[in-house]
Amino acid sequence: MHRLVTLTRDPIFDSAYISQRSMSATMGAAVSFSGVVRGHENGEAITAIEYEANEPMALHQFDILLDLIEEQWPMIETVRIVHRLGKVPVGEPSLWLEIIAPHRAEAFASGQFLIDEMKKSVPIWKKMIG
Amino acid sequence: MTIRVQFWSYFKDLSGCAETTEQLPPGATIDQLLKNLYARFPKLSAMQNSTLIAVGLEYQGRSYLLNEGDEVSLFPPVQGG
Repeated sequence: MHRLVTLTRDPIFDSAYISQRSMSATMGAAVSFSGVVRGHENGEAITAIEYEANEPMALHQFDILLDLIEEQWPMIETVRIVHRLGKVPVGEPSLWLEIIAPHRAEAFASGQFLIDEMKKSVPIWKKMIG
Repeated sequence: MTIRVQFWSYFKDLSGCAETTEQLPPGATIDQLLKNLYARFPKLSAMQNSTLIAVGLEYQGRSYLLNEGDEVSLFPPVQGG
């Protein structure tokens, strides 16, 4: 499985990542997801979220999750995940994810798994900016 | 032995610093480290039920036996995405 995990302080341009997509002829599903900063958190208006990470540990914990995905869905060809750090204004993506798989079922299921598990184990934190 | 401790997220505010060191006897556990830290940084002790602990890149529990040179991270529940 090809895997690419990126932590970046630059804006995430989904279309740029999608334009770099490569998939072999046996793959029939490309699922991508953008997590975008909302203008309200816990009922309060915000202007941005500041993300902080323990970067070496975050990369390692993402790798553990990708090992689990490879074990559970061995037919997946590629997982790319990009998480932005620093101040992310409302309306901009903080997270971008892509799964390339033979069929949609494993692409959607593994993407959901990755995000759910990331929120439990990958050391990234956020601070709301009003 | 000397153990380096890093605080993350709002644990930095609670401790008033991003990192510190602790001197512990050989064979000490994370639990002993935490007791020392809570004495030095009382505001952290309020978070003890929701404190995550890592040594190096791996999560560890309170019974983990520390070794000279270990780098310990303490932080609140993660919130990525």
